[in-house]
Amino acid sequence: MSAINNNCEYISKRLIKITFDGKTYEAYEGDTIASALLRNNIRLVGRSFKYHRPRGIYTCGIEEPNALVQIISEHNEPNTRATIKRVYDGMEITSQNRWPSLRYDFGAINNILSPIFSAGFYYKTFMGPKGFWKNLYEPLIRRSAGLGKPPKNFRSKSTHQYHNTDVVIIGAGLSGLAAAKKFINTKYKVLFIEQDSYLGGVLKNSNKVKTINGLTPQEWISETEELILNSKNITILKNTLVTTYNFTNHLIALEDKFAGKKIDLNKSELTLHKIRTSNTIIANGHIERFISFRNNDLPGVMLASSFEKYIHRYGVVPEKEPVIFTNNSSSLSLLKKLISLGCKPKAYVDSRKKDNIETEIKKILKDKEIPFFSDAEIEGCDGNKKVETITIRQGKSFNKLKSSMLCVSGGYNPDIHLFTQSKGLVKWDKNILSFKPDTPFQKTITLGSTSGNYNFKKLCDEINEKLSIFKTKKVSLDINLNVPNKFSIKELWETKKKNNSNWSKSFIDLHNDVTTKDLKQAITEGFDRIEHLKRYTTNSMGTDQGKISSINSLAIVSKMLKKEISEVGTTTYRPPYAPLSFAAIAGRSTYEFYDPERKTSIHSWHLKNNAVFEDVGQWKRPWYFKASENETMHQAVQRESKMLRENAGILDGSTLGKIEIKGRDALEFMNLMYTNAFSKMKPMTSRYAMMLGEDGMIKDDGIICKISDQHFIATTTSSGAPKVLADMEEYLQTEWPHLQVYLNSITEQFSTFNISGPKTREIMMKVFPDIDFSNDAFPFMTFKNFDYKETKIRIMRASFTGELGYEIYIPPKFGLELWEEIFSCGKEFNLIPYGTETMHLLRAEKGYIVIGQETDGTVTPIDLNYNWMIGKNKKDFIGKRSLSRPDTSREDRKQLVGLSPINKKDIIEEGQHIVELNELPKKISNPIKYLGHVSSGYHSPNLNHSIGLAMIRGGKNLLGQKFFVTATGKTKNIPVEIVNPVFIDPENKRLTS
Amino acid sequence: MILIKCPYCGERDQSEFSNGGEAHVIRPKNPESLSDKDWGEYVFYRNNPKGIFYERWVHSHGCKKWFNAVRNTSTDQILRVYKVNEKRPDLSDFKNTLKSPSGEPLVGSGNFAVKK
Amino acid sequence: MTNILSIPGVKVSQKDYHQIIVRGNGLEKFNNTIEEKTSIKPPSKNLEVKYDLNYIFAKNSFDQWSLILTEKKDHNQILNLVSSINTNDNILASDYSYGQVYFEIEGENKDSFLNQLTHFDLREEKFPKSTMAQTVIARIECSIYNLGNKYIITCNKSFEDYFQQRLKDTANLN
Repeated sequence: MSAINNNCEYISKRLIKITFDGKTYEAYEGDTIASALLRNNIRLVGRSFKYHRPRGIYTCGIEEPNALVQIISEHNEPNTRATIKRVYDGMEITSQNRWPSLRYDFGAINNILSPIFSAGFYYKTFMGPKGFWKNLYEPLIRRSAGLGKPPKNFRSKSTHQYHNTDVVIIGAGLSGLAAAKKFINTKYKVLFIEQDSYLGGVLKNSNKVKTINGLTPQEWISETEELILNSKNITILKNTLVTTYNFTNHLIALEDKFAGKKIDLNKSELTLHKIRTSNTIIANGHIERFISFRNNDLPGVMLASSFEKYIHRYGVVPEKEPVIFTNNSSSLSLLKKLISLGCKPKAYVDSRKKDNIETEIKKILKDKEIPFFSDAEIEGCDGNKKVETITIRQGKSFNKLKSSMLCVSGGYNPDIHLFTQSKGLVKWDKNILSFKPDTPFQKTITLGSTSGNYNFKKLCDEINEKLSIFKTKKVSLDINLNVPNKFSIKELWETKKKNNSNWSKSFIDLHNDVTTKDLKQAITEGFDRIEHLKRYTTNSMGTDQGKISSINSLAIVSKMLKKEISEVGTTTYRPPYAPLSFAAIAGRSTYEFYDPERKTSIHSWHLKNNAVFEDVGQWKRPWYFKASENETMHQAVQRESKMLRENAGILDGSTLGKIEIKGRDALEFMNLMYTNAFSKMKPMTSRYAMMLGEDGMIKDDGIICKISDQHFIATTTSSGAPKVLADMEEYLQTEWPHLQVYLNSITEQFSTFNISGPKTREIMMKVFPDIDFSNDAFPFMTFKNFDYKETKIRIMRASFTGELGYEIYIPPKFGLELWEEIFSCGKEFNLIPYGTETMHLLRAEKGYIVIGQETDGTVTPIDLNYNWMIGKNKKDFIGKRSLSRPDTSREDRKQLVGLSPINKKDIIEEGQHIVELNELPKKISNPIKYLGHVSSGYHSPNLNHSIGLAMIRGGKNLLGQKFFVTATGKTKNIPVEIVNPVFIDPENKRLTS
Repeated sequence: MILIKCPYCGERDQSEFSNGGEAHVIRPKNPESLSDKDWGEYVFYRNNPKGIFYERWVHSHGCKKWFNAVRNTSTDQILRVYKVNEKRPDLSDFKNTLKSPSGEPLVGSGNFAVKK
Repeated sequence: MTNILSIPGVKVSQKDYHQIIVRGNGLEKFNNTIEEKTSIKPPSKNLEVKYDLNYIFAKNSFDQWSLILTEKKDHNQILNLVSSINTNDNILASDYSYGQVYFEIEGENKDSFLNQLTHFDLREEKFPKSTMAQTVIARIECSIYNLGNKYIITCNKSFEDYFQQRLKDTANLN
């Protein structure tokens, strides 16, 4: 056995070095891994999925079921198709799914045990006992079955490219090129996509076409490509595979930017093209299928057209003397090519009757004295990790031949994958024995062999006719062929075995190790629907999606069920057509761009002052500020909280949502949207307000500033801002279009500072010496506008900490300047910056709730004892009616209370359960009565013990009672007393001081 | 990702839109006069048919305007879009929409992909 | 103006503009008020953009307009204009000057460059000159104005760093 090199224009003669399983080999630039390995006479490249059987290279393209390898030199990329991936100098490749080595694989014991691993084996065997699946079976199966190892330190960059176009042509073979030629210099914007790095398809992969319009195929390709390149309206994408065909002509294609080159980590490795087109032309050809026979998986068995493609496309003849086994007329071109290279096939086995075989074939075989078996088939082949002998059955006689390679052709399937993804209907064609496209669901055209037209002479008419809907010129193709013009085929899916042994296998799915016997068994067990059968046997569920075998399995099943193939139907073709990398799907939305980041105008100051950030929605907010390198979060928060209640603190509240509301009916609108009553509210005052869903549950809260009855400004929570605006818009547009009210989000138009603490007034007076901050002139919950430099600011008296506080609103351009000014003025008063964690602690001390912490979409204002916020006299507001539903008025709903530990050293943790037991049993056999949960838990530096807010069933009536709170990792619970949730300043003296 | 035609901005990618569920469910004028059951029907119950469905969409990452659409939920085809204040199109307009007796689309993949 | 990037066929720079978002019914009284206060007649066709050296005035939707003023002005001048428009109770004008950032994109490859960041159909027939669109670019909400030989893209200021980085990243990976 030895391969020979052939001259080939697609391969440069530059020698490069690659390693496979640690050994170095020479290859040519332009080779795929598979062609390089074949060049070096390597046929064994992997082990199979289930039985760990030795496997070789079966095909020469995307349909490859066996030759999957791991690329060590590319972040350990697993499951790479050796038949597609191009090599480069220094590429490191290993085989997969074997231990300790490819030649001596321990897992091959599965092959010996194979009679027990039949269809549905996992479902039947690993049934129990409970827990065994998770702890024993699954890890065991995962280790022995499977493919490559996941990549490590994945840092490649992939990009997305969107296209909006008139026409997409998929496949640059003969039909694709002819179609593209029609669009040259037209008004249509065309995207022309080819999976290979060269255009030409069948013309460069085979010997089938002799001349086109008097030119050699290569001359014609070059001429056509040149014309297309000069046409401004057509873009060619090479090394690009269309994987997905969605609704409304949306296609996804993957481009390998580094095909045959070492990846540059600073450039885009893969580009995912997302294409929206008006028309799609599918011309991606056909896929040869195999025939099932005994040991049809041995390394050395290869599809005939793939063998031919290796000669033409890669200049490597994998074997000088192969046996050819066919049931159709297409193998003539391979035969001719081998003869022209001085090679002589060991035998030509054709399942067709002698009379039906083309005269030309018979003549060559006779002239060259090649052993010829008509009306015959391959019974099977044998050998140790490779094909050694081949058994031919002709009638009742058997012939055993020695050869290391067997080329098989079971006919061609139009590549209908994308067409069916587009939801087009297919139809069974008796002449080609395959499904072909019928009724399209979208604007989809199929051309050439994709449409089931295997007649080259009819191609030109087909293209001109199908593309007549476009305003294009006629194209002419005068084609001379090396193969018979008429395609002839005899039905043959599986050959008969000589002996029936439990160990003899004829495969129907090479990737997932499914045998024809598995299909039979599944049908016997009642899985007679093709979709059930597929899942039960895992037939065609591998990464190759059964490209060379799925039609064969339908045919075999239909025979067993005694039905027509069209009655059995196909399984659903789902995207992607071939596996695509997660890196490509993610694009740039990884690492630094994982989620868009929003920053306030004070961000740079926070960075300089050692803020640790917290993500709030997309916002980066200071969580706490580190006073020193070694300060922990707990220490920082305790310090910030204490300092604020003693002096003053300032928080960057710019992220709070702000909505401007204006119009004739603004007051009515606000009364409907919020629980509160705004009618009697005086202009230039503000109010804490709550927004419910129609189900009565709290959605958001905020402060409403009333400028006039026609003009309001609402603040929202930071993460709730877009939703609140959207909800307001929704009601205005859909329910109350008669209300004349307009909304604008002004969140970004202001930097907002919340400054609070007992010394706040002094600081404010120093920053704004012209403003009167006295209690009389500037009472709690009022706001005023002031001139400031060349702009205007708004100051509101409000507080979320329970201390005297002001909120300053200033356009972001001037924000940082003012912030720094406040600090220089506040220095003598020990003003500190504080973050969200301190804010949460301080508001919990004051018993203020936080949306999403105390509330979770199941909490009403009544549950929080916020009845005072409900405008009961209002006729209607969103959610009002739901507050009197039987469920919302239940007495035993979970209600807000405070928790205080009885032993002051105990820590109440957020999220813990509240129970009646002081200790949990070691082993919990009966459910423990659950009373509620701790919604907020902090250590209060101002009270010097832990505090909690909790939602407890019937909490309103439990004041003063003792319960227990569970603790992480302990069975002993913490005794707590139910208290009023306001721990600090219940009389609001500080707030209004 | 389908294409959806916003009545104000034209055809845009689905990713710019959000679905708002069943259309033509009107908020009761006097919620207080409704029984618990009727109010519960309004708040919690919506139709979810296979086939022709009148539904609401909002161009949430575009002009933020709401509109209605008639969609065949079994083929995902949007058959009509119309503004909120426009009349609901008659069901008979969509008689010829591809639909088999079992509700399955006549065209489609899988077992339904094969022309009998 | 700050240069953000310059690669063959694409040039991106950042601009300092002022902006006012106006909401209203678009009827005669509305048009008169706007014209009186700004001395520009608001565009009447949906998505239409009127522009010259000093302004870009667009109708974003049936009840929303954006007025971008490209000349540098004192902020109080803008705020006074806003409050004078707001004297009409049925119009809401909000100052968007410093809460938004403005990028100008020009060059013959600007479309394919932008289409690495957005699905938006930039073809002339779908997005003609003198129109605007609100869409998603680099996963954030943006407005894009087609001024013929260039686009103006605006987004929220909080995304400024992110958006700049995405633009530069796209240029670097090419």
